[in-house]
Amino acid sequence: MSTNNEKEVLLSVRHLEVTFYNNKKRFRAVKNANFDIYKGETFALVGESGSGKTTIGRSIIRLNHTSDGEILYKGKKINGKLSKAEQRDVIRNIQMIFQDPAASLNERATIDYCVSEGLYNFHLYENEEDRERKVDDVLNAVGLLPEHKSRYPHEFSGGQRQRIGIARAMVMEPEFIIADEPISALDVSIRAQVLNLMNKFKKERGLTYMFIAHDLSVVRYFSDRIAVIHKGRIVEIAPTDELFNYPLHPYTLSLLQAVPMPDPQIEKAKELVIYDESKRDLSGEKPILQEIRPGHFVFANDREMAEYREKLKEMIAFKKEHPTND
Amino acid sequence: MSDNRFEFVKMEESASEHLSAPRYSYWASVFRKFFSSKVVITMLVISAVIMLFSFIHPLFSHYDPTSQGNINDKTMSFIKPCLEYPFGTDRTGRNMFDAVWASCGNSLSIALIATGVTTTLGVIVGAFWGFSKKLDKIMIEVYNVVANIPFTLVVMVLVYVMGAGKWQLIFALSCTSWLSTAYFIRVQVMIIRDREYNLASKCLGTKTSTIITRNIMPYLTSIIVTSIARDVPNFISYEVFLSFIGIGLDVTEPSLGRMVSDYVQYMQAPSASYLFWIPVILCAMISVSLYIVGQALADATDPRTHMI
Repeated sequence: MSTNNEKEVLLSVRHLEVTFYNNKKRFRAVKNANFDIYKGETFALVGESGSGKTTIGRSIIRLNHTSDGEILYKGKKINGKLSKAEQRDVIRNIQMIFQDPAASLNERATIDYCVSEGLYNFHLYENEEDRERKVDDVLNAVGLLPEHKSRYPHEFSGGQRQRIGIARAMVMEPEFIIADEPISALDVSIRAQVLNLMNKFKKERGLTYMFIAHDLSVVRYFSDRIAVIHKGRIVEIAPTDELFNYPLHPYTLSLLQAVPMPDPQIEKAKELVIYDESKRDLSGEKPILQEIRPGHFVFANDREMAEYREKLKEMIAFKKEHPTND
Repeated sequence: MSDNRFEFVKMEESASEHLSAPRYSYWASVFRKFFSSKVVITMLVISAVIMLFSFIHPLFSHYDPTSQGNINDKTMSFIKPCLEYPFGTDRTGRNMFDAVWASCGNSLSIALIATGVTTTLGVIVGAFWGFSKKLDKIMIEVYNVVANIPFTLVVMVLVYVMGAGKWQLIFALSCTSWLSTAYFIRVQVMIIRDREYNLASKCLGTKTSTIITRNIMPYLTSIIVTSIARDVPNFISYEVFLSFIGIGLDVTEPSLGRMVSDYVQYMQAPSASYLFWIPVILCAMISVSLYIVGQALADATDPRTHMI
């Protein structure tokens, strides 16, 4: 666990609120979200469906309107009203990988067009030859063949399609990529392939990822820091090891428990804790996101904070007595 | 068996990426699907023959509905269909073969031009209408008002106001009908608009106009063809109907509707009933064949039918 303060902040989200309106009904999808993403790291946003994780991702890339708060990219505000040039700048530097590779590719366009779409929009090539070379290179990089260019998306398998989606984002040479559950629609056997590909690009190009996921099993091997989000509110942020070793918020605990164990004996003995907010003691003043250890934030008020400190002490002591290899 | 008879085969990563499926081409599949039905081919031949006669024959015959050169020649009137006069002659001795094709050509061109205007305007307006929420607020009210006025009434009033004539009739037919095509397209655009691949295009910085032409329109080919297939026979019927009740075209212009209305008196006269039945049957053949061809083309342009 290195000190994050020395690292350069690439994206920071401050007091972000996203509200949806359905006629007169108001729905707060994201409530006062605060986090920083450092250059070169993989930041994971984990939560159940409907928790607002995709909404945060889409607000960063300007697909959703924000109702309050700021999103700063390299210190510059990128939400709300922007000039045309600033909008193009955001799109140029931030790219998105979508969840469902079957739905996110234009079925009536060839792979050549799908991959070149961003190049055409920003005219990122000198001439036709240069564009073709760029497309060939990126297809090669994701393990596809140049002969695929004249094919249509429906002719490919799910994993291949997701790699086309990655190629389309990579050809823009972005700095920051929002990956919205890029593997949850894929077959288990090819998930690793796509993750490895993303890691390869991260190493080669120094990319920063925001990885949106709904379960912790994948995130553990892929991300540097994790934020857990529940009902639009970020309840815990910590470096990956810290979060897995010392989960504090009860929701984080239940998420961790939901990860299936490959050992049937452990799995059988496991007692599932279902997180139920109504059964919790919510007395005291309103909770806020507070730092409990360097880099480890938890959503709590002072009373809960004291409880978590106790718990943390116990856990650290327990870890010292029973050192495990993970 | 000894080990040295085996040799290591290198694994080729790219081999698994190879697509063995035959290359797919959209338009080739459309043609294959379209020409797979014998009924459709027959109907296509029928409509092609009718169109060729309608547009080429009048160029040679120079048929003029107002000239009645043979009116005093009694031997020329009511000649039954024969080799010289395939469709016979009427009371004033006009060659019905010339009359029918000139009328057909006129009626067809009216229907085709009106369909062209309706479809072009409807698709362009509908595409932007489906995309823009501001435009939607205005257009939906305009549509509600116009759609509540019976189409026949609009056409009749417009023709009365502007007077009879080919271009006036085309204007009257396409004046409000483009709005229903636009509405039809708007609904389809709204269905496709928020699909994820359009969001992806937006994330890549694609302009709305490009999203419409590259992402939305290719999905609407089959819907547009369906709308055309419905409009052409519809407009022919309207022209026939209006001319039949006497307000469509000028007397100087030949039209199927006018022929039917002129010769309806002979419907039950056994010696001259051909004067009525030939234009009626031709009118029916045009409508049916164009409709079937249009529907088959609409089906063929839908890629869901391209599965082998």
